[in-house]
Amino acid sequence: MSTEGVTDQRVAPIELRSVSKSFGGNRVVNQVSFDMRPGEVHALMGENGAGKSTLIKIMAGLHQADEGEILINGQPVKFVSPRDAHDRGIATVHQELLLFPELTVAENIFLGQTPKGRFGVIDWDTMRRRSRELLDSLDSGDLDIDRKVGSLSVGNRQRIEIARALAQDARVLIMDEPTASLGEADVQRLMDIVRNLKARGVAIVYVSHRMPEIFALADRVTVLRDGSHVATRQVSEVDETQLVSMMVGRPIDKLYPPKLGESGDVILELKDVSYRSTVRNISLQLRRGEILGLAGLVGSGRTETALTIFGITPATAGQILIDGAPQVIASPERARDLGIAYIPEDRGQQGLIRSQTIKENVALAILKKLTRGILIDAQRVTAEAANAITKFGIRARGPEQLVRQLSGGNQQKVVLAKWLATNPRILIMDEPTRGIDVGAKAEIHLLMRKLAGDGMAILMISSELPEVLGMSDRVLVMNGGRITAEFAKTDVTAEAVGTAMTRSHVRSDAA
Amino acid sequence: MTAAAATRIGRSNFQRFIGGYGQEIVVLLSIVVLFVVVGAVNPRFLSDNNINSIFAGNAYIAVAAIGMSMIIMAGHIDVSVGALIGVIATIAGTLAVNGYPVWIAWGLPILFSMAVNASVGALVAYTRIPSIVVTLGMLSILKGGLISVTNGEWISNMPVEFMIAQMRPFGIPSAVYFMVVLTILAALFMRYTDFGRAIYAVGGNMEAARAAGINPERTVVGVFALHGLFAGIAGILFATQLQVIQSTVPPNLELTVITASVIGGVSILGGIGTVIGSTLAAILFACIGSALIFLNVSAYWLRAVLGLMILATVLADMARRRRAT
Amino acid sequence: MTAERFLRHETILAVLTVIALAVLAALSDKFFTVENLLNQGRLMSEVGLVALAMTFVIVTGGIDLSVGSIIGLTAILLGVFWKNVGLPLPAAMFAALACGTFAGWANGFIITRFSVPPLIATLATLALYRGLAEGISEARSVRGYPEWFFFFGQGEVLGVPFQLWLLGIATVIAIVILGLTPFGRAAYAIGANETAARFSGIRVHATKLWIYTAAGFLSGLAAVIFVSRVTTTRSDMGTGWELDIITGVVLGGTSIFGGRGTIIGTVLGLVLIQALKNGLSLSGVKGDGTIVVIGLVLIGAILAGALFDKNRGG
Repeated sequence: MSTEGVTDQRVAPIELRSVSKSFGGNRVVNQVSFDMRPGEVHALMGENGAGKSTLIKIMAGLHQADEGEILINGQPVKFVSPRDAHDRGIATVHQELLLFPELTVAENIFLGQTPKGRFGVIDWDTMRRRSRELLDSLDSGDLDIDRKVGSLSVGNRQRIEIARALAQDARVLIMDEPTASLGEADVQRLMDIVRNLKARGVAIVYVSHRMPEIFALADRVTVLRDGSHVATRQVSEVDETQLVSMMVGRPIDKLYPPKLGESGDVILELKDVSYRSTVRNISLQLRRGEILGLAGLVGSGRTETALTIFGITPATAGQILIDGAPQVIASPERARDLGIAYIPEDRGQQGLIRSQTIKENVALAILKKLTRGILIDAQRVTAEAANAITKFGIRARGPEQLVRQLSGGNQQKVVLAKWLATNPRILIMDEPTRGIDVGAKAEIHLLMRKLAGDGMAILMISSELPEVLGMSDRVLVMNGGRITAEFAKTDVTAEAVGTAMTRSHVRSDAA
Repeated sequence: MTAAAATRIGRSNFQRFIGGYGQEIVVLLSIVVLFVVVGAVNPRFLSDNNINSIFAGNAYIAVAAIGMSMIIMAGHIDVSVGALIGVIATIAGTLAVNGYPVWIAWGLPILFSMAVNASVGALVAYTRIPSIVVTLGMLSILKGGLISVTNGEWISNMPVEFMIAQMRPFGIPSAVYFMVVLTILAALFMRYTDFGRAIYAVGGNMEAARAAGINPERTVVGVFALHGLFAGIAGILFATQLQVIQSTVPPNLELTVITASVIGGVSILGGIGTVIGSTLAAILFACIGSALIFLNVSAYWLRAVLGLMILATVLADMARRRRAT
Repeated sequence: MTAERFLRHETILAVLTVIALAVLAALSDKFFTVENLLNQGRLMSEVGLVALAMTFVIVTGGIDLSVGSIIGLTAILLGVFWKNVGLPLPAAMFAALACGTFAGWANGFIITRFSVPPLIATLATLALYRGLAEGISEARSVRGYPEWFFFFGQGEVLGVPFQLWLLGIATVIAIVILGLTPFGRAAYAIGANETAARFSGIRVHATKLWIYTAAGFLSGLAAVIFVSRVTTTRSDMGTGWELDIITGVVLGGTSIFGGRGTIIGTVLGLVLIQALKNGLSLSGVKGDGTIVVIGLVLIGAILAGALFDKNRGG
């Protein structure tokens, strides 16, 4: 660390000093210091919940730090709104690209800062010309500036966001998992663009999980864990294993509870199942008492496969067998009646009705069971909810509490309670511990082991490699909608899965 | 090579025009086809008299539809516009009959209209009460207020200089000038001002608009006030096109206005559309109404035809959106 | 919390209604007579029936603007089936009611099958159904119904208007379905978060289809009673009713965003509106001045709700 600032005479375009931030008493960023140099690509790494996204939101002016200071070119500043950060030359390429689908490319690039002609009238010619120049300078000469953004691919939209940042004359560009939903060709183009920006002296904060990109692009890397700063290193001085151990911080096998009992018969089998172009010829077997890990990058078809099994997007080809009998699963009701439960990825949108009570949520998937004659048995609903609260250790005032008032971990337990009330035999868990604190995470892992021990078949989708390695009895790797590798518990390593994910990527591109 | 260069610079102006105004062109072609076919069957359809009555008699609907289009593009709706037009007409007529100068008789109701709608906009923007609820309440207030004040009495004997819609500079009814000029002005406004683009942005993605430095609340209040301006002008045209003002709310006017906006290509989901389309659609309705008479089809079927048209347009819009995503 | 909030809005509304009744009774001695109250009940029955279904529609986050047009269409078809087609009157009633129900189903089908926003789908069918009524009738009214037919709109059972019994029974059924059955819970869940409802195995499309169909059926029923009450059939019957009905439902505390609302609230809202209309006119307020009051009450009630409940929504 002693090399910092000494050899480099230029001032940092942004520097954070001992910044902290808490939400509801939960400290998510703890005394973190972070600095950028002009023309540097600085990777920011850490597990989900390590504090990366809060840290970049502080830099972008979306959150205000509780403690610590922010310096721009050596001057202390206060960001009250995103506008302040904009004005100081800090731009963000958001993961959920904030664009206007019905406006043209040129307009999206310049919205809020349109060039004006006489009488304050929008100067379309200048706007279009400068958009053209900006996109050309990003090697995106093929992008039609008059097209509506809604019809463009994710990769193109991202280029528009980058152009938008350049139009603001940004000195610091924050890229939040920019390659998370890109295909391989777009990833290569993005990497070229990043190098191009770097050459122009733009400092880039690069948040990513993908090791190959980090080693190809970044100059320095900062690792966060549980809200704290672990280390900042030159990328040339570290290797992948070191980074992983810095991120995880402790030996993986001690973190996860051991397997109880043996796997039983095959309960769910997929034979060449496809859904349009997102799920391609998936064949897999899931056994009783087994936790099958499904690894892969975002957009690799993991969630899409789960949604097909669950009947949200019914299979367009292939066969799904349950207990050896072929089944057509055309709706979630059908899936539920067959004993399939799905804990969705997006808890707030798909998992819960946040404006309703715990009681109402827990009863939602078993309304028929709780009905006597034609009426819902209100006492049984309350009893079911009260039972769930004790059984899953949900920290709440009672069954009448609104779900949106609970913490992330407790909300996830409500989703689990809702689905376990249906007595499923197959449990699909999509990112079961995303955005959950360490304590609740361990409770959910323990519960998963217990359920599997009781004979439940669990299909677990996770983007956290340590979780995949620690929890799974078997690991499947998906890419481009296909299963591209399979590992048994005994011979799975982080490196092997990671490499499989990356390698398969290249292969699917060549195919 | 030349083709590649062309795409590099952007599509040609012609291509951009076609791409940006698809729905408008469809509506325009429908009008042309209607004129050709109906004119061939019954040449009296093309008489000056009939064409004048089609355009001049419905200009106020087109003008109101301009404002409504902006409201819908911003992601809102106004079901009280018909009642508002009735109130404006009555206020204007009363002022004119009682000897106030025509400028006051014209201007005061328009200011009133803007004030009413700006307050509706403020309620919608700052309290987050949905616009349909607020304008539903406003509809009751305006409608009830109008009838209870006037007792449904008609206003007549208005001074000649007040009757602006009946003036005919260069032989063309002035209502037509209003329709054309206001449409063009509004189209330029939507395209060439920050405020105009902000309307699209707010209707398209409210939070992204905020992130881009637009104040969505102020935009909503502004767009409602602007809608009030157009509704006010429509009210004046409505008041002055006949010799009497009926002092009642024209039945179903709000639905006709909303329908014109939607058929003209404004998506009810917000964020898309042009004001030119809504004007063309208002003209198309008037033409269909007139054509049914000239084709000896019972005019009673007019509304059913309109209903089918809205349904077809909306289904096409949904199909287009589904393909786009 | 949610239950408390429902109760709170209804309590405010009930208190408001009681105050209104008291004031109106003091203003006019004709108001608080059994005869007048029963007559008012008769007048609100038609709107009331449709409002019950509209409550379900709005609870799921939808809206149905076409109910007034379905009333007009059903009324016209009743007359046409009987007089022009020559069906016996009971068969004509049944056939017209079936058409009204089908019109409601068609709304639901367009909304669920093609994902058209309910506001715009029913705006289109508002014009379409009214247009069909106008086209079929060509503005001719149908009169001369037999005496027995007037029972539905003018008759009494045990001294209480027939349609008030019907409204009472329908209200009880609606309260039970919305409040106490899985179907009702599904309606609330769809309105509060449609995606989560679907992911919880709730049959979202089927539920909505039933609800829009029910709105068509009750509109048809209201049309038959309306025709029987006024002894004639015209194509403009029910024009503008959709707004009165929605006003009643929203005033009753049902959130226009969906997910919240009760039948009791809707009934209280309707009673308050009817009492204001009648009481004010008995007290000498000119006919349509009462509509102004209703508009003010609507905006005021919703505004108060919004201000009391800042952290509304998901």
